[in-house]
Amino acid sequence: MRNNYLVRVLTRATARTLQPVRSLCSAPTAADVELKNVTKSNFEPTLAELRRHVREADFVSIDLEMTGITSAPWREIFEFDRPDIQYLKVKDSAQKFAVLQFGVCPFRWDQHSTSFVAHPHNFYVFPRQEIAGDASSYEFLCQTSSLEFLAKYQFDFNTCINEGTSYLSRSQEEEALKCLESVHKDEVLDVSSNLRNDLDMQLVRMADILFAERMKNVVGEWRAGLLRGGSWGSESQGSLNDVNQKFQTTFFQARPALAVNGLTSRQLKLIKLVTEKHFSDLAYVHVTGESSSRLPLIVYTDSAKDRDILKGEVKACQRKAAEISIKSAIGFRHVIDLLSSERKLIVGHNCFLDLAHVYSKFIGPLPSTAEEFVSAVQTYFPSIIDTKVLLNSDDVLSHIMNKSSTALSNAFNLLCLPPVTPTGTNNGLADIPRVKVDVQVDDQRFSNWNSGAKHEAGYDAFMTGCVFSEACFRLGIDFNPHVPGLVLQHNEKLQKYTNYLYLSWANGDIIDLKTGKSGPDTLGSAIGRRRCWLAKFTFSSMILLWGLPTKLKAKDIRECFYKAFGSGSITSVHHLDETAAFVQFSRAELVSDFLELKDRLERDNNNPMSVVHPLSRILETGCVRAATYETYKEVCLSPLSEVLFTDQAERLGIKGEARLVQSSVDVDGEGDCEGGEITLPTFRELQQSSASVRTSNFQTDRIMDSLRRSAAQ
Amino acid sequence: MYLRRYFCSQTAAGHRRRYERPVKQVIKSNFSETLAEIKESIFSSDFVAVSLQKTGGYSAPWQKCLPIDTEETAYLKAKRAAERFQILQFSVCPFSVKASKLIANPYNFQLFPRHEVKVGMPSYSFSCQSSSLTSMALEGFDFNACIYNGISYMSRAQETAAKVQTGSVLLNGGSLLSTSAFSVADVIFSERIKTRVKNWMNGCNNQHKTEDYLISSLRKLVERCENYGSRPSLTIDVCSERQVQLTSEALKEFVNIVLVRPPAKTGVEAIQVVLTSSEEDKNLLVKEIQDLEDEQRRLVSGFREVIDLISTSQRPVVVHNSLNDFTFVHSKFLAPLPPTTNEFASSLLSVFPHILDVNHLMKELGLFNKMNNLSSAISYLNRRFSASMDMEVSYEEVTDCVNVHGHSVMKVCQLFVNLCSILKISLEIPEGGHTQLPALLQRSSNIFCSSDVRDPYNDDVRIWTGKSRTVSLKNLVFLWGFRKGMSTQDLKDALCNSHDVFSEEFDVKMVDRACAIVVFWTPGFSKKFLGIMDSGELFSSKLENMVFEGLKAADYETYGRVCNSAMWKPDLAECLAQATDETEVFSGAKTQQEQSVICWNNDEMINLDEL
Repeated sequence: MRNNYLVRVLTRATARTLQPVRSLCSAPTAADVELKNVTKSNFEPTLAELRRHVREADFVSIDLEMTGITSAPWREIFEFDRPDIQYLKVKDSAQKFAVLQFGVCPFRWDQHSTSFVAHPHNFYVFPRQEIAGDASSYEFLCQTSSLEFLAKYQFDFNTCINEGTSYLSRSQEEEALKCLESVHKDEVLDVSSNLRNDLDMQLVRMADILFAERMKNVVGEWRAGLLRGGSWGSESQGSLNDVNQKFQTTFFQARPALAVNGLTSRQLKLIKLVTEKHFSDLAYVHVTGESSSRLPLIVYTDSAKDRDILKGEVKACQRKAAEISIKSAIGFRHVIDLLSSERKLIVGHNCFLDLAHVYSKFIGPLPSTAEEFVSAVQTYFPSIIDTKVLLNSDDVLSHIMNKSSTALSNAFNLLCLPPVTPTGTNNGLADIPRVKVDVQVDDQRFSNWNSGAKHEAGYDAFMTGCVFSEACFRLGIDFNPHVPGLVLQHNEKLQKYTNYLYLSWANGDIIDLKTGKSGPDTLGSAIGRRRCWLAKFTFSSMILLWGLPTKLKAKDIRECFYKAFGSGSITSVHHLDETAAFVQFSRAELVSDFLELKDRLERDNNNPMSVVHPLSRILETGCVRAATYETYKEVCLSPLSEVLFTDQAERLGIKGEARLVQSSVDVDGEGDCEGGEITLPTFRELQQSSASVRTSNFQTDRIMDSLRRSAAQ
Repeated sequence: MYLRRYFCSQTAAGHRRRYERPVKQVIKSNFSETLAEIKESIFSSDFVAVSLQKTGGYSAPWQKCLPIDTEETAYLKAKRAAERFQILQFSVCPFSVKASKLIANPYNFQLFPRHEVKVGMPSYSFSCQSSSLTSMALEGFDFNACIYNGISYMSRAQETAAKVQTGSVLLNGGSLLSTSAFSVADVIFSERIKTRVKNWMNGCNNQHKTEDYLISSLRKLVERCENYGSRPSLTIDVCSERQVQLTSEALKEFVNIVLVRPPAKTGVEAIQVVLTSSEEDKNLLVKEIQDLEDEQRRLVSGFREVIDLISTSQRPVVVHNSLNDFTFVHSKFLAPLPPTTNEFASSLLSVFPHILDVNHLMKELGLFNKMNNLSSAISYLNRRFSASMDMEVSYEEVTDCVNVHGHSVMKVCQLFVNLCSILKISLEIPEGGHTQLPALLQRSSNIFCSSDVRDPYNDDVRIWTGKSRTVSLKNLVFLWGFRKGMSTQDLKDALCNSHDVFSEEFDVKMVDRACAIVVFWTPGFSKKFLGIMDSGELFSSKLENMVFEGLKAADYETYGRVCNSAMWKPDLAECLAQATDETEVFSGAKTQQEQSVICWNNDEMINLDEL
């Protein structure tokens, strides 16, 4: 295999006279990678440029900078998290945190210079509220350590908040348009009732009466002037000016109109009232002026019919304006729509969370399961490649990586930059030809560049693209296309890795976007498989403990259990945080044994036997709760995020279980509960079982509750 | 920038420069030096005004403090905001009024909850509202400066909980042991320590005698002699807090030693006994260690030092909206907020005995709606009461110069002083009279008005700001599930004559988009209405239609429960619906629990169960 690879490289090099491209860093005057920084001021022209670049691109790499990753320490992804739990945690993160920077970098293969041309774009994004509506979606969480991290790399928060491009997701846009629609419909329907309400407005205060009377005269005079003069005489204009500088005769849609300036809303309301009450041929309308402020006008119309037509026109106009403002609020989403509509290959590095962010910010609320999510993602982005999966799963590449970290910057340094001391040490790597990547920003093209600012989304996206192109090169993929633009997407060598993502790197589970199936890495390299030693967790014989004394270490817990149930009774202990831990029993029946014992110890805690019992060290606080794995899922499902797991469970009112409920309810619930499916018993069964189980069975209550609710719906 | 501002104030208000200076901007780098400065200026002035800049206010319209809120629900709303959002800027202005002149020393602190000492402290994460950040940005707030260089802090509770001890701490001979009896083990331990220290001291004192190097170093090894700085020291291993106390008790008789507790990873590990040559030397060492301790503490508590200074000075604190601001202060710098408003008030007043709310003073003047905005309030007062103000307050000149951050605290000052002069409250406090507030102020201090002045013994709420008519909670009903986009008037029209209960006087007010509150002015009608909605026995087709379309109702108690629960949603209607659902389940669970209690006490039952 290895020989084969070497030969291939050599033949490629000679066949296409691809000179060993070392220009990457060879020039001493290499500059930092240029990025196109995009804010709201240059968004429109950049988008037009980007359309062209994406259309011509072979692939587009992306990267995001967020305000945080986890909303609480226990929301981090652990090795004992089932795939459904992992998805819930990713979902929680994507829902709560904001995206501050979005890096988009289209890569195009240039046949003439036999190099890739990259266009790194660094979009500053900020969820500014541009249109009225639900303000709660414009609230986001910041993880303090993440902000500190960004600050360490000199992230420019001011640019982001002051000038970041805002956005509207597809579902937000739909919602806003629907809302507009219903308002419009209501207005049409309610014209009569509105009129009545306005007429009902009584003139109580003396000032109001006087003002209304005066306005009646002013408007009447103006109207009389119109009718009398025919040419809408200047004398009426003159007299009006005497009365008040605030009135001005103009034209509106080929009709004479009186513009009203600088009055309070109360006064305007009175004018409206007077106009509608006393002048059947005058219409009071608001029009959107040039300065986008609403300008009140009194318009003369020929007849009642003409008046209604005019009012309709004004309404349509207003609606148009509202629609335009919604359209313009879409902002950064145009970039996502572009990537989606061009159906290009998307490349990211460990990008499952990034995709969740993309979905929740620019498409709509995240679905409740990973399967639904990935199938929805596929409809928008048909092919996605994760460079981290690629580097870890492919034999050739994982051999090159040689067990070193596959973190983005490390992979980039190893694959895309020449070794630091090429002279003398001949480790083989130095002589390997590399793919040449030119950076193009605006119309300038740079062949020589140094590394740029890390953790700028644009630069990270660029690095991801470089790693990907180098990886393709090492895999021996021919960039010279027979069909332009589609090479990589349908390359059979890449096909194996397309649409596979790490659900989480922490436990190496990979999700297949095509099927929605997830599980341990099965793609196949030796290094990828190295994680298989990780203990297989039997979720049905795991117990979740919380409310633990904070000083208790995993080994202390293990000792206590060994003393109580014999050594070998538990296989592992995993801390969720300082107050909560998972205990993996070696046999499923020990779970119920433990629950019973715990219950007994807690009930008579003054009994000397209880005090000296080995488990008393764990139960010390007196509020230790125990529950099964499903309770963990329930806690993760909640939108709440208390810092400590124990506080979280308490706020949710989860009391834990005194007995193992499932064994009494769900007879054949022995399976490993893969995919998190539990068959819910029927309502009647539950009622019967809850009658037989006299202890307060919390879980039963919950299931019954949910059934009751679903029945009510 | 500073220079420019300086010039401005010099030219524009040259003769008043004695009383004014620009707001001093404080970040991490100049915090230590400012601390001494602000300490002096707090203690030399009569009042302290504070003003906060936060990352958000409320997440949804109903979560704002509304006139329909009782003291309790208002507190719960403020509590939620304080727990979610973060303070990014804290302005403090110690001020006095002397000879009808305002003398103010404003400071503006940039805060950021950086993890200086421990990860997760002072805050793991916080919420931001993009609207708040945007408006801060418009005022020219520098987020980079704040996040890069903001001062961190730790609340009192966090500091205790974290037991942060990074440096050595002086051990003061605490004599907590006098009451507890000594066990034999204790006596043996004490005696052993005593002999060991005695031997070690003798050894140290005899050091001059020429001793073989090997022997002396062996002795050092055996006796665990070390040096603490230039002084000889001995390390004693201890394993509990009690042994620490025993040691300090036992070593009381030795005059020239100082006990130091070195930093430990977990709990107590050792005590260092340091030998000093004389009383003078001992004092020197003690001071040295204390200084180090102070420095350390300053690093840990950070900005909280300023809060502590204000607290120890016992000066009255002037704020614009006391409930909102002090829930923040309490949760960030003191301790997590307690569940009820009474506990909150007592906890807070033990730290800040006098809190003066400018909003409250505004209401004394009967200005209900003019209080939302500081600037508009000031200009309103100037227009309306210019004649009755004999106070010389001149800060506008400086305002116009540059965008001064933290200027709002000066406005709070100014508004407060103006209001007091209108209300004829003298703010000139004689020397040394700090413990006593002017009688008139005393009356209005420590009232946490949320949005309204209310009688503390009466739970009634107002429905409309600016109207004095109050309603008993019993007469309020929350309504939701009506057609979307209905206006108050529409809803009232729809309800009117839909049923007998709506034949008498009633009022409707929208709480948010999809939820309204109905006021029945006739006592008992609300209960009747809820009864009808509950039983489903509808006597009119009009109401039946609305119920069919999804109209739901709940009493005020349900609303109270919503405020108390953990799950707040953007729409109040959703929350109320959830709360009503839960009531059914809850009451069900309750009866079940009662049953189970009986079960527990009944031995037979348990036995049966186990069989």
